[in-house]
Amino acid sequence: MAEQMRVVTKDIEIPGIDTLAVYQAHGGYAALRKALAMEPVAVMEEVKISGLRGRGGAGFPTGMKWSFLAKGSSKPTYLACNADESEPGTFKDRMIMERLPHRLVEGVLISAYATGTKTAFIYIRGELKQAARQVGRAIQEAYDAGLAGKNIMGTGIDIDIILHRGAGAYICGEETALMESLEGKRGYPRLKPPFPAAAGIYGGPTVINNCETLSTVPLILANGGAWYAGIGTEKSKGTRIFCVSGHVNKPGNYELPMGTPLRTIIDDYAGGVLGGKRVKAIIPGGSSTPMLDASKLDIPMDYESVAAAGSMLGAAGVIVLDEDTCIVGAVLRMTEFYRDESCGKCTPCREGTYWLVELLERLEHGGGRGSDIALLRDICDNISGKSFCPLGDAATSSIISSIKLFADEYLYHVTQGRCLVGEGARQAIAAH
Amino acid sequence: MSQPTNDVPMVNLTIDGRQVTVPKGTVVWKAAQLAGIEIPIYCYHPKMPPLGACRMCFVEIEKMPKPPQTSCTTEVTEGMVVHTDTELVKKARQGTLEFLLINHPLDCPICDKGGECELQDFTLRYGPGASRFDLKKRHFQKPIPVSENVLLDRERCIACQRCVRFTQDIAREPGLIMEERGFRTMVGVDPNAPFDSIFSGNTVEMCPVGALTAKSYRFMTRPWELRRTPSVCPGCAVGCNVRVDVRVDRVLRLMSRTNDAIDDGWLCDRGRWGYAAVNDPDRLRVPLVRKNGELREVTWDEALDAVAQRLRTLSPAQIGGIGSTHTTNEEAYLFQKILRDGLKTNNIDHFHGVFPAASMNASSGATGAMPWVFTGTIAGLDHAQEIILLGADPYQQQPVLDLRIKKALRNGARLTVISAEPSRIDRIAHRVMRIKSGGEAAIARTLTQVVVAEHLWRGTFAEVNETQLARYGERLKDYTPERIAIAFGLEAEDLRTVARTIAGAHGAVIVYDEMTTRTTGNETLAADVLDLGLLTDNVTQPNAGVGPLFSDANSLGARDMGVLPDVAPGYRALAKPGLDYAAMLGGGVRGLWVMGADPARHMSDPAALAKLETLVVQDMRLTATAQYAHVVLPALSYAEKTGSFTNLERCVQAVRRAMPPLPGARADWEILRAVGNRLGLNWTYRSPSDITKEIATSVPLYADLTREALGSQGQRWNFAGGREADGVLSDGGQLPANGSLPLSH
Ligand SMILES: Cc1cc2nc3c(=O)[nH]c(=O)nc-3n(C[C@H](O)[C@H](O)[C@H](O)COP(=O)(O)O)c2cc1C
Ligand code: SF4
Ligand code: SF4
Ligand code: FES
Repeated sequence: MAEQMRVVTKDIEIPGIDTLAVYQAHGGYAALRKALAMEPVAVMEEVKISGLRGRGGAGFPTGMKWSFLAKGSSKPTYLACNADESEPGTFKDRMIMERLPHRLVEGVLISAYATGTKTAFIYIRGELKQAARQVGRAIQEAYDAGLAGKNIMGTGIDIDIILHRGAGAYICGEETALMESLEGKRGYPRLKPPFPAAAGIYGGPTVINNCETLSTVPLILANGGAWYAGIGTEKSKGTRIFCVSGHVNKPGNYELPMGTPLRTIIDDYAGGVLGGKRVKAIIPGGSSTPMLDASKLDIPMDYESVAAAGSMLGAAGVIVLDEDTCIVGAVLRMTEFYRDESCGKCTPCREGTYWLVELLERLEHGGGRGSDIALLRDICDNISGKSFCPLGDAATSSIISSIKLFADEYLYHVTQGRCLVGEGARQAIAAH
Repeated sequence: MSQPTNDVPMVNLTIDGRQVTVPKGTVVWKAAQLAGIEIPIYCYHPKMPPLGACRMCFVEIEKMPKPPQTSCTTEVTEGMVVHTDTELVKKARQGTLEFLLINHPLDCPICDKGGECELQDFTLRYGPGASRFDLKKRHFQKPIPVSENVLLDRERCIACQRCVRFTQDIAREPGLIMEERGFRTMVGVDPNAPFDSIFSGNTVEMCPVGALTAKSYRFMTRPWELRRTPSVCPGCAVGCNVRVDVRVDRVLRLMSRTNDAIDDGWLCDRGRWGYAAVNDPDRLRVPLVRKNGELREVTWDEALDAVAQRLRTLSPAQIGGIGSTHTTNEEAYLFQKILRDGLKTNNIDHFHGVFPAASMNASSGATGAMPWVFTGTIAGLDHAQEIILLGADPYQQQPVLDLRIKKALRNGARLTVISAEPSRIDRIAHRVMRIKSGGEAAIARTLTQVVVAEHLWRGTFAEVNETQLARYGERLKDYTPERIAIAFGLEAEDLRTVARTIAGAHGAVIVYDEMTTRTTGNETLAADVLDLGLLTDNVTQPNAGVGPLFSDANSLGARDMGVLPDVAPGYRALAKPGLDYAAMLGGGVRGLWVMGADPARHMSDPAALAKLETLVVQDMRLTATAQYAHVVLPALSYAEKTGSFTNLERCVQAVRRAMPPLPGARADWEILRAVGNRLGLNWTYRSPSDITKEIATSVPLYADLTREALGSQGQRWNFAGGREADGVLSDGGQLPANGSLPLSH
C-alpha cells in the first residue's frame, strides 16, 4: 500500500503516543513552547502563511478567521474546538481524539494563545465516549505537567481547557447551535449576525474551529507556515484526512496531500471497490455534499476541483457506492438522517425533510407515483436557500444530485415498483 | 414610529416602489407595515427579538446575496430596494405555507381559531390553492392542558415558538418548552416546572393558530359574533388597555390593545380572565329594602326614596360615605360631591394606604411633583438603572408592571428586592434583602441616613436645603446600617451599597406597595421614601421616580377626586376634615353610604355594621357589607358604562360601555344623580362626559382634561401639557415648597 503523508497524524502509529510522555519524547509540545516565545500576532501570521483552511466543511481560511475576532469587547474571548463530528461519512476527528489527543490539546493551546483567549472549550460529540475519555485524560496530563492552566511552562500565560460532551445531535456541529448547547440551552442555530467572532459563547467574541483544523496548527508552528503551504495545490494547501467508507476493501482514514486524485485514494489507499465491482457514485465530502458519478473518478481532491465537478470537498468524507447500490434506497437512508437530525427550528427543513422521506419511502417500496420525482425536486427547491441554516440545504444535496445523475433508477421504481439493482431487485426477481 | 427622533438617525428605503423613512435599526417587516404593506409572519412578534424560524416573511432585496431574504431579521439600510411580490417571493411563501399545512388539520370549521387564524388568513392570501401532500397527517390525543387555564391541541401547532419565547424571555418564567426535534418538535411543559405563570393568557393571544386556547373561551363563540370595544382593564392600577369582546350579553374575553406606554402589549391572567363578576348569574338585578328585618325586592323609586328619606333624617356629622377604588372618576367625584354639597359632611373616605397630609399633593400646584403618586412613568422604567422594590410585589399586585421591570432588566437595569415576604421576582433580582414585616420604613430611613452621612446627596432639592441636612441627619442617627442590619439579619455593607447605587444611578426607581404603608411600623414609609428620592434626585429625573404602587384600577382616581376626609377634589385642603375610614366604621357615624366597596372584609367584627341606623350599599353583588344594609342598589360593571380611570402614574383613560347594561341594574353615577335630585340638588348630568367636563373646570389638578383627548390611549397628567411624555416633571426641585423638609420627621 502507498504511504500516507502524515502531518496532522504524524507519529500516530507509535505505541503509547496518546500519553504525554511518549508524545513529548517525539517532540510533542515543542511547537507550543516555540509559539509561546513568539508574539501572538506572529503565531497568527504563520497560520495565515500556511494557507490552512477550515476542515469542518466550509474551508474558510483559518488565519483570516482568527483575525476577525472582535477587539476591545467588554466580555472575554473564547476558543471553541468543534469535535461534534456527526456528518455521515466522516470519522477523522474521532481518530485524532482517540489516538493523538495531545496533538489536539497542543493545537488548542497554541490557537488560544494566538487569539488571546484564556478559555478554550472542546465540544465532543456525545456518542464518542472513548474520544472524550482520551481527550479528558490528555487535558489532565497537560494540566499536571504545567502545559495548560495557570502559568503555562512558566511563561505567566494562563489558558484553561474545558471539555464539554454533547448530547448527540448533528445540529450541534453547526457553530452557533454548538454555542447554545455549550451554554446549556437547546441546540438551535442562532441568527447571524452577530457572527461568533463578534459575539459567540456567552456573548464573548469567539473563534470556532474544527478538531482537525486545530490539530494541524502544531505542525505548522513546528515546521513553519511556508513549509505547510508547500504541500497540496495552489489554493488548497496542506494535507487532508480523507475518510473513505462505503463499498471499498479498506475503509479508513488516509492523510494525503490536497489534490490527490479520487481514484488514487480509492484504489491505492482504500484497497479498491469491494468485490472488484464498478463504482456507481461517489459522495466526496460527507453526506451533505452532492453525489458524483464514476465519470468524475479522476478529479483531484481539492476544494476547487471538486466544486468544478459539481460537488464540495466538505469534510472529506468519501463515500463510495458500487454498481449494485439502489440509489433511491441510499438517498432514502441519508434523507432519514436529515429528517431525524433537523433541529425543527425552521419550517422548510422541519416539515420538508419529513415529506421527502415519506415520498422516497413510497418510491423505494413500490408505491411511488410518476409525479413524485418532480415533487421531490420542487420540495428540495422550497427547502434549499429557504431554510434557516445549511442543514436544510444539506438535506437536499443527495436528492437533487441523484435525480440529475440517476433519473432512470427513480423512474424504474415508479414504473416497475422495485429497485433496478441490488438486493431489492434480486428479491423482486426471486419472487417472480 | 416614523417620526424622526432626536438621537436615532433615519433611513430611507423603497418597498414595492413606495418611499419609506424609518429609524435606523428597524427591520424590513416593520418598515413595510408602516408603509401599509402586509408581509405575513408567524414566528416574529413586534415585542420580541427576531427569530427567523418560520420562514414566512420572505421578500427580495436588491443587491443582497442569496434571495429571498427574511424581512423580520433584516434591518433596513439607506437606499435599500425591497420587493414583496416577485415570483421568487410568492413561490417561497407558498412553499412555507404548504409545508406548514402538511401536518396541520384542515378542519377550520370546527377549530376555535377559525375566522381569526393567521394560518387560515395567510393561506387564503398567499398560499397555494391546493396541497400536493397526499399522505396521512399526524394525529394526537387532544387537547392536553399545559396549565390550569390553557389547553394545547398539538396537531395545530406550527412551532413558531412565540409562546415559549414569551414565557422564557419576556416573562422569564419556566413552564413552556420546545420538546423533541425535527418533525417531532412540539410545545410541551417542562417536567420539572409547571406552567403556572400569571401571564399565561398572553401565549393564547400570541398563538397565530388554534393550538393554544383558553379554557374559558374555547368553543364559546365564533370570533365574528363578538362585539369588540376598546376599554381599560379593571384589574389593577396599571390600567392595561383592553378590548372587551362581548357576545350578546356576556363578556367572553379581554384582549390586549397594546399601549406601549402602559402595558407594552401584555395583560395578566387576573385581568384577562377576571370578567366572571360581570357575567355572574348572582348579580343584583332588583333594588332591595330591609322590611321587618329582611331585604325585600322593591322598585327603584321606592328604594331611592328610602335612601333620600333615611339620609335626610341624620345630621351632617352623623353621616358618612365610603367610596370605591373600582368606580370611575366621574362616579368618585359625584360621590364626594353628594356627601359634601348635598349632605354637608366631610366624612368621606375609602380603603387605602397611609399617606401623611394628603393636601401636600396640592401644595405644589399643577406643575410640581406630587408626593403621593409614583413620580416617574411606567415607560420610564425601561431605562431605569436601579429598581428598588421596597415592600412591593408587582407580580401579585400590579402584574404587568412586573413585565416592565423584566424589560428594564433586559436593558441592563439592576433590581433590588427588599421585602418581608418572598416573591417570584426574587429569583432574578440582583440583590434580595429579607426583612421583618413593617421594617420597610426603617430601611428607607437607613438608606437616607447613609446618603446624608456619606454626603451623597445631589440635585436642586438637596442644594436648596443643604443647611438643614445636618439637623435632618441628626434625627436619623439611630438608623445606622449597623443597627438595622442587626435588627433584620442583613449586612450593613449591603445597605450602604444600595444607598450608594441609588445616589449614583442615572435614574433609580424606588417603589412600595400602597398597602405596605398599612403595616405597623410603616406609618411614615411614604414620606421616608420621598425623602430618599428627593435627596438623591430621583424624584424628577428621567427614568427615575419614587412613590406608591396603587392597588386598584381607580385607586388614584378616588384620591384625586377627593374621596378623602381631609381634601376636596384635587387635594384642596379642608378647614374642617371629616372622619376617616376607621373612625366611620368604628362607630363614628350613624348612617353610612357605601358605593362599590366591601368594608366588612376589613373589619374584625363586621356585625358592628348592624348597629348603624342606616346603611346604604351600591354594588353588583350582595356583598358581606350589603347583607347588613337597609337599602341595596344594584350597580353596573365597568363593561356596562362609560367613564374614566386614573392609573398609578396618573394617566386618565376612557372606559367604554361594551355591552347592554344588566336589566334592573344602574350605573353608580345614575344612582347618585337620582339620589342627588331627591336631596334637592337639581343635577342635570345627561352622561358621564357632563361630569368629566365639570371635573375639568372645577378640579385644578384635572384642568383641561377632556373626554375627547382621552382618545384611545388616555391622557397623561399634566393635562394642559406641562408634563413631558418621558416623565420629566417640569419644575423639579420645588417640592415641597419653602425649602424645608416638612415631612414626617
Ligand atoms: C448542520 C451542520 C453541521 C456541522 N457539523 C460540524 C461538525 O460536526 N464538525 C465541524 O467541525 N464543523 C461542523 N459544521 C461546520 C461548523 O459550522 C463550522 O463551520 C466549523 O466548525 C468551523 O471550523 P473550521 O473553520 O475549522 O472548518 C457543521 C455545519 C453545519 C451547518
Ligand atoms: S435548516 Fe432549519 S430546522 Fe433544519 S437544522 Fe437548520 S434551523 Fe433547524
Ligand atoms: S403553540 Fe402556538 S404559539 Fe406556541 S409554538 Fe405552537 S403555534 Fe406557536
Ligand atoms: S416571521 Fe420572519 S422568519 Fe418567521
